Formats: sequence, structure tokens, C-alpha cells
Amino acid sequence: MAFLRSIHGGGSLPSKSQTLSPPKISNNIQKPPIRHRHRRRPTPPIFISTNLSDVNPIHLRDLCATCNHSVHRFPNILPDGRSEHVDVDKLRLALRHSSVVVSVFSRPELVASPPESAAGVDWYRRMIPLTPVTGQLVGFGRAVSDSSLTASIYDVMVIPTLQRRGIGRMILQRIIRLLTNKGIYDIAALCSDQEMNFFKACGFGDDILESTTMMYTRSGNDMVVSAGRKLLMVPPLRKP
Amino acid sequence: MQTSSSPQLCAVVPVDCVFNSSNQLPYPATFSLGLSAGNRKLKLSRLQAGGFWESIRSGLIKNNSTQVIEPSSSSQEDEEPLPQEFVLVENTLPDGTIEQIIFSSGAEVDVYAVQALCDKVGWPRRPLSKLAAALRNSYMVATLHSIKKSAGEELTEPNNEKKLIGMARATSDHAFNATIWDVLVDPSYQGQGLGKALIEKLIRALLQRDIGNISLFADSKVVEFYRNLGFEPDPEGIKGMFWYPRF
Repeated sequence: MAFLRSIHGGGSLPSKSQTLSPPKISNNIQKPPIRHRHRRRPTPPIFISTNLSDVNPIHLRDLCATCNHSVHRFPNILPDGRSEHVDVDKLRLALRHSSVVVSVFSRPELVASPPESAAGVDWYRRMIPLTPVTGQLVGFGRAVSDSSLTASIYDVMVIPTLQRRGIGRMILQRIIRLLTNKGIYDIAALCSDQEMNFFKACGFGDDILESTTMMYTRSGNDMVVSAGRKLLMVPPLRKP
Repeated sequence: MQTSSSPQLCAVVPVDCVFNSSNQLPYPATFSLGLSAGNRKLKLSRLQAGGFWESIRSGLIKNNSTQVIEPSSSSQEDEEPLPQEFVLVENTLPDGTIEQIIFSSGAEVDVYAVQALCDKVGWPRRPLSKLAAALRNSYMVATLHSIKKSAGEELTEPNNEKKLIGMARATSDHAFNATIWDVLVDPSYQGQGLGKALIEKLIRALLQRDIGNISLFADSKVVEFYRNLGFEPDPEGIKGMFWYPRF
């Protein structure tokens, strides 16, 4: 910062409180977010599965409802604040064509009451091994990719009673690991305002190439397809 | 459409197609196509020359050189967009040659042609194998080819050059979300509304399958182009974030 010294006045000595910082080398790479040492609530015992067959679409639909997460980007909000229910068959289709599916299961009794306060969980219940069948679906995440160049992450959700315990981060890290093992490093995630902080904390940021995210939102009157609360216009057939 | 008697079989195209796929070097000489996806079970796939074990594995493909299978058979699950091919524009050039621009989707795309087109528009090169795999695993790949024929010749003459001049592809989970990647048009054909036609066809195909979340990541120079097509930047605060590898 040599030029700053000259601005402050040629002859005056810099005061003791002013520290001269070394010249800043600007680089275009964004620094990773600083991790603060919070005291995060302990992660409950969970079972993570990347197997598609472990996910029951009906449970997934219920999880979506519990987390108030919608598969549509612009969901229909019902009068009592919840989003509309998802079609299970469509969910099944989406799962089948997702490259990566991560599901997290936890003991049902721990979901209802937070783990650290549960004193009276019977010892024999704890003996039952935690598997996708015995456990309850509490977290989910999936990614759609073309298997070699790009991938997009959708529908990352954790049940509200078990949030802020590192489960979401674990889901995301598992998805990323599976994608990078296949050689896919261009991983994108569409997120709303609430989800943005979560993704930022997990190492996502704005595009290096500064591209703009755009979504098709043109509405019309006839020839429309409904997607959540949007009525998207189907482009008419015409020659250029 | 006829298939040759050599071990190499041509991909199935709809019966109203006028063109033969030209004898370009098929990149997937080292890959086996089609069957791994499981959806195009009944489609004939390209076999590698001398791919004896491939043909055994493929089972019913081995000697069906005379069988042409319709892409829209009823037993097949209707999950992927049906292949289409039609003439988008037909122009007559000053020297009498007729140029047709053909839109096609769902057909095999020559990876070398795509790579050459990417070079023409100035995009950084990507590994060919990755490009081929990406094209294969995309939900829909729409292409524009230009065919020139001199006045008086038939379009099906093999010496007519069929040149790839535009491409767009979309990945999707077949139910809710789709992302459009890699939209490119040959610079000498830009400004004619061809890119717009490509995207509109893609959107049309996606919406017809009830896929409502159509997104893309646009360079700053082309944001206006997509805005005119009905795309909105950062709608309702939705942002796209990318993963930063930490070394």
C-alpha cells in the first residue's frame, strides 16, 4: 500500500495506531468461507445410504411435506402455509433418473424428541441395528447429471427437528464426493434465499465465470403448462 | 432406411426421414451405446467394428439387419422425447444452390462435429470422451444441420455436405427439473433466429413432459437473448451457486 502513505501527507509520520499492511496481491479466486468455531449440536446416530432402492417415494413425499420443501421452484402455497403435495409417481420417476440419491435415516424415537434430552430410551431399542428399514427417513438430497461434465443438486432437505446438526452438510458432502469420483467438477445448485447460507457454508459460491442464473417463467393464456403456481407458456410452433 | 450387412448398424431414425446418416467416423468406436441407459431397449445401437463380445451381449441385435423397429412401440415406456427431424428453413442462394436447415433431436450426434463447432465459436476444448458421454446422457440434444444441394440434384445424394451448425442440450430428471447447457450456433449462421428456434423447441419438448423448472446459466452477453425467450434472471431471489473445489 505504498501509494496510501503518500496520500496521507508527504512529511507526516504514520501514527502508531496505523499499521502498514503488506501489499495486497489481488487474486480472482474467492477465499473459502471462514469457519467459526460454534458449538454445534451433536449429530445423532444416523445411517446414510446412497442406494436408490432404500428410498421409499411415499416417505419422501411425507418428508417434503414435513420440511415444507417443494419440488417446484414456485410452489403453490395453500391457505394454511403449506405447499401442495407432490405426485408420488413423478417423484419415483425423478428418483430413477437422478445420478446421485442420498438418504439419511435415524431412529424413529430420536426424531420425535431431541437426542440429548431423551433419557429414557430403552436399551433394547438401541440394540436394534439402524438400517433403512428400521430407521425413519430424516434427510435427503439428490443430483441430476449428464454423468461426465455437469451436475445440478436438488431437493436437499432435513427434518426440522434434526436441523442444524450437520446432517445437511453430510448429505451435500456425500453427493459431492460421489460426483467428483465420476470426474464431475462442475456442480451447480439452485437455491432460494433461505438455502443460500447453507450452501455458502458448505463451499458453494457464485459462478467463477459470472454467469447469470435464469429460469423460464413466461406465462401465457392458452397453451400453458402448470408448474407449481406458475402457468408456463408453451412456445408456439413457428418458423424463424 | 437400409442397414449395411457389415457388423456396423445404423441408428434407427423415424420412417419419414429422408437422409442417410453420413459415413462419418463414429466416435463411439470404443463405446457401446444405448443399452446401458435401459430405455432405448428396442433401438438398434452402433456396434463397434469387430465388436464380437458386444454383439453377444446385446443379444437380439446380433443378426437383425433387416428389422427396423419403430421408436414409438407401445411396450416401451414413454420416458424420453421421441426423435424428431424436420426442415426448419429452406433458402435459395444466389448461385442457385438450395440450402436446407434441418432440425433434429434424439438422433446420434457426431462428437467430432460438435467439437469443431465449439472451436468455431471459441469455447475452450473439453475431452472428447467426456463430451460424447455427456451427449449420450443428456435428456435431449437438439441439433441443426445445413444441407446444400445444387439445383437439379436430389437431396439424398451422398455427396451433399451435411454440416452441423447448431446444437443445444438439456439434462433433466425427467419429472421436475431441467437445465439447458451448451447452446451454440455457427457464427456464420447467427442472427437468423436459429438459436431461438432451438431453445423454443427444447422448451416445448420439456413442457410437454410437464417438466416445469427449466433453468440455465447464461453468460453476461447472452442474458438479453434468453430474456427475450421468456427466461428471467434470478427469479424471486433464486440463485445458482457452484461448488468451489478446495485443494
